[in-house]
Amino acid sequence: MEIEGYLKKDYITNLVNESKREDGRKFDEHRKIIIDNGYVKDKAPGSCLVQLGKTKVLAGISIDVGEPFPDRPKDGVMSTSTEFRPIASPRFESGPPNEDSIEVARVIDRGIREAGAIDLKKLLIEDNLVWIVFIDIHILDHDGNLIDAGGIAAMSALLNTRLPKYEDGKIIYGEYSGKLPIARVPIPCTTAKIGKALLVDPSMNEEYAMDARLTVSTTDNINAMQKGGTGSFNEEEIMACVDAAFEKGKEIRKMLSTG
Amino acid sequence: MSGNGDLVLIKDGKRLDGRGFEELRDIKMEVSVLERASGSAYVEWGKNKVMVGVYGPRELHPKFLQDPTKARLRCVYNLAPFSVDERKKPGPDRRSVEISKVTSEALSSVVMLERFPNTVIDVFIEILQADAGTRCVGLTAASLALADAGIPMKDLVSACSAGKVDGHVVVDLMKEEDNFGECDLPMAIIPKKGEVVLLQMDGKLSRDEFKEAYKLAYDGCMKVYDLQRKTLMDSMKKFVGEGGVENGD
Amino acid sequence: MLNIKDRDLVVPGDLIGNEILPDMNCYMEGGNVYSAVEGLVRVDGRKIKVVPSSGGYIPKREDVVIGVVMDVLTGKWLVDINSPYICAMSGEEVSRDAAKTDLSRYYKVGDIITAKIGTVNEVFSCQLMKPWKIESGLIIDVNPKRVPRVVGKQKSMLNMIREKTGSRIIVGQNGKIWIKDGNVDLAIKTIKKIEKYAQTQGLTDQISEYLDKESREKISL
Repeated sequence: MEIEGYLKKDYITNLVNESKREDGRKFDEHRKIIIDNGYVKDKAPGSCLVQLGKTKVLAGISIDVGEPFPDRPKDGVMSTSTEFRPIASPRFESGPPNEDSIEVARVIDRGIREAGAIDLKKLLIEDNLVWIVFIDIHILDHDGNLIDAGGIAAMSALLNTRLPKYEDGKIIYGEYSGKLPIARVPIPCTTAKIGKALLVDPSMNEEYAMDARLTVSTTDNINAMQKGGTGSFNEEEIMACVDAAFEKGKEIRKMLSTG
Repeated sequence: MSGNGDLVLIKDGKRLDGRGFEELRDIKMEVSVLERASGSAYVEWGKNKVMVGVYGPRELHPKFLQDPTKARLRCVYNLAPFSVDERKKPGPDRRSVEISKVTSEALSSVVMLERFPNTVIDVFIEILQADAGTRCVGLTAASLALADAGIPMKDLVSACSAGKVDGHVVVDLMKEEDNFGECDLPMAIIPKKGEVVLLQMDGKLSRDEFKEAYKLAYDGCMKVYDLQRKTLMDSMKKFVGEGGVENGD
Repeated sequence: MLNIKDRDLVVPGDLIGNEILPDMNCYMEGGNVYSAVEGLVRVDGRKIKVVPSSGGYIPKREDVVIGVVMDVLTGKWLVDINSPYICAMSGEEVSRDAAKTDLSRYYKVGDIITAKIGTVNEVFSCQLMKPWKIESGLIIDVNPKRVPRVVGKQKSMLNMIREKTGSRIIVGQNGKIWIKDGNVDLAIKTIKKIEKYAQTQGLTDQISEYLDKESREKISL
């Protein structure tokens, strides 16, 4: 039932006009973040369950070997995919990824790829053979801001990923030969625009009320951006989102460990 | 499923992980773990990690699928890509479709579908980490999630596998035993009646060996049932104020 | 003959007894009555019932519900009441000549209303009556099976919350509760607390204390 959408939009907007948020947060505050590395470490070389408020996202890293892309013969390969599992929300349906799911996957991918987070140059095994890194983001419980939750989960999982052993032409599952080389740690930060206000880390109710959102993924630089929604941003608002992304990125990066 | 000459699965009466023939792996169960789903459960069983969410009864679209005499029960068993050694491409494969079917049929034997005509009850089984026996774990967790959702059922469904390894009949196969053993027999029962609602087998068993395996699996199911009951009882503690009403929330 | 006693907890399949009448959360087989849900058994003389811990909403006559208008048709609206079953509301609630009236002038798609359930048929399709449009305020979700505790015997709990928060509250039996004005935060927290500890003995007194304590703290801030 979409009652939430209709009435909550007004309620959230009224609160915002009084400079308040539904859960009492400040406009530039994230919800409580819980990071659980190695959540499925018996099979996946890397994994991380992130709880961002009530949103729960599990990122798993799978490693394979294969041919590099012909235009980058010495680089490893990375690929990101996201599944909006129907377990996560009454609005998610079984079936192939829809545009929302694909957008989340591609935005998270860009953040990681453009930052050069995975040192792909170090993934060459031998001539015409490289490591292939699969990032699979499994949404389990949707309470808003899947991009940030997924992006943080993916990055934390990557930081804790071990490369399997590769011997005599095959992968030895369950045995490892070192860590996945990570060069830097991009963190995405999504800001929602409601009226004239900017709110970091929108909850699901706030997503109902928002006119637009801007995701900025940062390291020391900006590596990826994505504007979503049918509303618009002016330059000042965009710079505010960028500044928030650098600040929040720094905070959250500290929470990720290589333990 | 041929025996592997190199791998010794049973040594001195103990299995690879040190268990006896009638011992189940360690199991942990929890309900109400998800916010959005009407009912949910999370089960860790050996190295298996399974999350189940239930939605419904809810409206069924398209309308021509509606049954005016009862609810439809839709079950989707899904392996996460990272849940197995070699990454599995997202999307249903034939094995998952078959498991979804037998799971759905097992649950349909107890869920009181006739109470909710024209609706659908959706059961989503997400295998986050797989290590043999996932359909039993999934079905066990699904039964918990349905109870957690308050969907009326005649009984719980409790599942457990048995098999044959190095000539011995054992309960609750782990991965190596499933891969290199001589038989895999997943089973599920409705405990009050003591009847079987899921039964599959592949491998080679004599008639006597089957009877032995059946008994082990059945007893295993009853042990699982005890744990399911305890889990549901524990989950109702706050509901009846056991331990007091907390001041914080 | 009873197999259980008052305030026992049960899970689906547990034997309640025989020679008793099953309530809607039980079923009968071979002369015995079993629980169909997880919940709390209440024995009141000869009446036995199982109070479910959770569950969805199935429309019942006379229930007050809160719903969203989904569709405007000729002579009626279709209303979503957070149930697998859609309710209809006759245009005659607002106009004598319903078939010829543009009903969206009264309630359009997306409008939120509170209304009473009139008739319910055997496949749970129902008719709503006496609608009232809800504008502004907030609606929260509560497990429909726990809503009766928020109301209490003869509305005792609900009136207590209204009085001590000063809020206007409409409780939809379908698990939607509307709150406006007064100490909305405290009303929400209180309702959520009742939901969580619904079948605790002496809950009304504990909630009363809680409301007093929280109100005092607000004043002293």
